[in-house]
Amino acid sequence: MGGIISIYRRFLRPGLGSLPASMFLAGALGGCSPEPRASGLLTTVDDAGDTLTLAAPARRVVSLIPAATELLFAIGAGPHVVGRTQYCDFPAAAEAVPNLGDGIKPNVEAVVAQRPNLVVLYNSGQNAAVAGRLHDLGIPSLRINTDALSSVPRAARMLGLLTGRQRGADSLIEVFDSALANATRNSTARRPKVLLLVWEQPPMTIGRGSFLSELIERAGGDNLFQDVTASSGVVSIEAVAARNPDLIFTTAEGPAAFATRPEWQVVPAVRQKRFLRVTGSEFNRPSPRAPAAIRELTAQLSRLAP
Amino acid sequence: MSAPRLGVLAVVVVGCLLLGLSAGSVALPPRQIWSGLWHGQGEGAVIIRELRAPRVALAFLVGGSLGISGAALQAMIRNPLAEPYLLGLSSGAGLGAVIAITSRAAGPWAVPLAAFIGALAAVALVYRLSLVSGRRLDPHVLLLSGVVVGAFAGALMSAIMVLSDAPGVRNAFLWLLGGFGGASWQALAVFSAYAAIPLVALFLHARSLDLIALGDEAAHHLGADVDRIRRLVYVCTALLTAASVATCGIVGFVGLVVPHAVRTVFRPLHQTVLPVVFLTGGCFLVLADIVSRTVVRPLELPVGVVTALIGVPLFAVLLRRSLP
Repeated sequence: MGGIISIYRRFLRPGLGSLPASMFLAGALGGCSPEPRASGLLTTVDDAGDTLTLAAPARRVVSLIPAATELLFAIGAGPHVVGRTQYCDFPAAAEAVPNLGDGIKPNVEAVVAQRPNLVVLYNSGQNAAVAGRLHDLGIPSLRINTDALSSVPRAARMLGLLTGRQRGADSLIEVFDSALANATRNSTARRPKVLLLVWEQPPMTIGRGSFLSELIERAGGDNLFQDVTASSGVVSIEAVAARNPDLIFTTAEGPAAFATRPEWQVVPAVRQKRFLRVTGSEFNRPSPRAPAAIRELTAQLSRLAP
Repeated sequence: MSAPRLGVLAVVVVGCLLLGLSAGSVALPPRQIWSGLWHGQGEGAVIIRELRAPRVALAFLVGGSLGISGAALQAMIRNPLAEPYLLGLSSGAGLGAVIAITSRAAGPWAVPLAAFIGALAAVALVYRLSLVSGRRLDPHVLLLSGVVVGAFAGALMSAIMVLSDAPGVRNAFLWLLGGFGGASWQALAVFSAYAAIPLVALFLHARSLDLIALGDEAAHHLGADVDRIRRLVYVCTALLTAASVATCGIVGFVGLVVPHAVRTVFRPLHQTVLPVVFLTGGCFLVLADIVSRTVVRPLELPVGVVTALIGVPLFAVLLRRSLP
């Protein structure tokens, strides 16, 4: 292992660890940067609690979270993204970036082969070991949680700093915050109860504080299972029937298959086909598109549950 | 069968069924449960009649069928470790379900049907591999064939899961872990249609199972057609298990634990063991299902997890107590 690392250090990344060389590299590539670079080290604390220090803005970024890829493009760091997951499908330009496979327990060899000077990882237990291995190889990694609306400005700030796109990040955050505030419905009028059905067999819903739950709350509805604190869980049809949802949210394409099953007919919303159906990746992950997603939900809510 | 023990068993069965009807996400008074079963109106009555009653009935029937399958297989293979899922069935069913989900097969019955087909395909392959010298079914080869076919199907399943980008492949595992959340009168009717003939056939061959358990030679001298009985037991248990996988996923440990538990209490003759295993297995699964839908309300635990959590300690205690 040590042998492999030393070969890797000698041939693949000349000047690794020596400050002047990497400064030079960054300076050469970042010459066309529209923003003046702040002097000194770039330091941030990621969501895993690790302190990350870069000598210069990262110019080769591997993003292993679809939400982070979207943010990197949104703040103007898209040209520096040199690797993505197979799930990174937005914006369209991201699909031209080399696909490195999975984001959880990624293929470390494929990541290293892109010679990144920053790897963005989803903050999960499995990825802790990946971050450790990258660290041993001299590659800094940033672990972030991208599970809630609040992660959009937080991640944008971190990514903006580390890629030298602070201005892009700042303006994105400003636009995002005001769009979010505008899209949010705080009315105390009757709020429809929505079953967030993310899987049909067995029926799975998501709990309070999850991204979709946040979207529906801001769109003026209530999550039927607000009392569930787990991010997701299997629920019984009996529990659904007892709580009697006004609407059923589904991301299924085409007609919902479960709706024809006899046991579901106990739920009035199923019998009366009151489905709130959405497609599109803006409903999968917190992103700058979230305010638009909320507006779409609001429109459907007012149409389906007047 | 001694009368007092039979009486206790009858009380336990009735008690389990009533408990199954009264427990759930919604608390309902006993009077409403009774009236809801037959005629009542309103959401409470509908929940009892359309959700809880078929759920309890299906859990009972599946538990009984798995118990009988385990008892018959243990006698047929003459191996106390035999259980319905040992014969490659669970992996075959899992493979079918995962293929259905990754190929985005539509329709409410796509996944159960694919699981059923997968289980039957695995069973057929194991059966073919275990036929030695013509039409003799060798129990040892059967066990090994089951293990290798299961391993192969499991590997295929893992490969598909890793390579597929279909959403929800991980959730396929949740479905496979088992649960009666999808129970309906329709599911109960489908299961009963598949289970009725194998169940009756196994009950009718209880005497033959006793003979087979004595050993091939002894059974042969006592007039049993050993090969025919083996094939019959195999086909019947395979059908029962495949049907139960298709209706409620893989529910482990019922087929292993319940027959052993019954044999420690009742005479080990199959004319006694089979009916008692059927009732006990049914009660066990009804109770496990009650735990699965109440312990983390409003969420549900997979019933297979509950059967293992209850079944394994119970089994360990029985095992220690039955040692000389």
